[in-house]
Amino acid sequence: MLDVTKHRNIGDQTAPTGQKGVHLARTLFDKYGGFSVVSKIVLDLYDRLLDDDEVGPFFDDVEMARIVDHQTKFVSSLMGGPASYTDDQIEKMHARLTITNAHFDTLKGILCRTLLDHGVSEEDAETVVAGFEARRKLVVE
Amino acid sequence: MSIAAINEQLLRAIGVGVALLDLETLRLRFCNDTFKEWFGDIEVGQHLTDLFAGFDTEALKAALAGEGRHTTETTFRLRRRTMTVALAFNRALESDEAIAVLVCQNISRIKELESMIDSYSMMVERNTREIKREKEQVEKLLLNMMPRSVYEEYKTFGIVTPRLYDPVAVLCLDFIGFAEMVTAHDPGVIVSELNDIYTAFDRIGEQFGCARIRAVGDFYIAMAGMPDPAEDFAQSAANAAVRFIRYLKQRNETHPIKWTCRIGIAAGPVVGSVVGVQKYIYDVFGAAVIHASRLRYFANPMCIVANRMMTEQLDDGFVALSQGKIELTDAEPEEVFRIEADVHAAEGT
Repeated sequence: MLDVTKHRNIGDQTAPTGQKGVHLARTLFDKYGGFSVVSKIVLDLYDRLLDDDEVGPFFDDVEMARIVDHQTKFVSSLMGGPASYTDDQIEKMHARLTITNAHFDTLKGILCRTLLDHGVSEEDAETVVAGFEARRKLVVE
Repeated sequence: MSIAAINEQLLRAIGVGVALLDLETLRLRFCNDTFKEWFGDIEVGQHLTDLFAGFDTEALKAALAGEGRHTTETTFRLRRRTMTVALAFNRALESDEAIAVLVCQNISRIKELESMIDSYSMMVERNTREIKREKEQVEKLLLNMMPRSVYEEYKTFGIVTPRLYDPVAVLCLDFIGFAEMVTAHDPGVIVSELNDIYTAFDRIGEQFGCARIRAVGDFYIAMAGMPDPAEDFAQSAANAAVRFIRYLKQRNETHPIKWTCRIGIAAGPVVGSVVGVQKYIYDVFGAAVIHASRLRYFANPMCIVANRMMTEQLDDGFVALSQGKIELTDAEPEEVFRIEADVHAAEGT
């Protein structure tokens, strides 16, 4: 019988497999300070939308918790945070509302101004608004 | 301006809603501008229940008669906004009249923040669950590619130290006429057959401590004695090999497609490591792997051929029949052996 010798490590060689520290693209959500900053944008947007007489009436009969929930997810997903709506979900959510291009434009303007007022750079605000614009056909009748 | 006038101005302008109530009648005696702004056009003399429908006046009276204060909340819509106002009633005595001071704080923002935190935490929790699920899938995938101990090392340190495993037994198996079989049958059928067979091999290997390292097409390679050293590594590999063949023979009796394998087993040293940077894969290489791979070419259909080192490790449960000398490497030719389970010893296994 041969002795079963203990398996041993070979020198200090290491296989070049270090995959740690792989950098994923940094989202705007992270860039602008995560939830602590985004939460302020969300509440400000909530105020501005409700105060606006053009788009405000859409929220007349919606309870506060639901509006806030949607706004949180809306801003988070546009900025690459932890929420993402599928096109299908967006379409279904707005199916019963009569949203015109003018409504959409108003909301787009409010969104852009809110972002800029919270220190989001013009370039990044444009990126977010472009993401919003891309969904126009899903909600406008 | 008198002190009383200044006080009244202050009360009117302050961002907190303030009102005075006659405790006997529960009618309004005074309210400031903020109060009016929130609760609409109200007149002095209006009853509390006109302002807040469904207000529990009995509870208020009882609390004010007792400890002298009462707190509650009310929610209403102001334009399209949901307002939540905290109401605090405090009993006060004005000469001999019983009155209550009502102070209202707008806590709508707190409620909105609470809703937002609820919404956000639910999103985060869902994401966490998804990440956990993905992590488990990745772990499962990696455990298919490398032994658990190697995976644990990789997970902890991000690298895998190449190790020499000595001695181990390497089992190499392939199927005779595989190329023709692939051409003759539907790809789906071949894959399904291989799945079936390899799953059975994996199960047998697990039972005997001879785990699959990899399968590439019809080439199946398994190791005994690693990553943890095992004294009976040769027995493990031989036991698995014998049962692979036995399984195939039994399977061929009932399946339309007949599989014929050949097996080479070599004992010796191997190196185990993760190789590659982007497409990394756990690999084993060394003399034992090369020898086992070459030995299978000298195996007749459904037979096992092993090198001397392997054969010497086997116990009485197996018989080794010399097959002559062959050149396993460029060195001197060496004797190789056909291995079979000893019929008597195999009984009852």
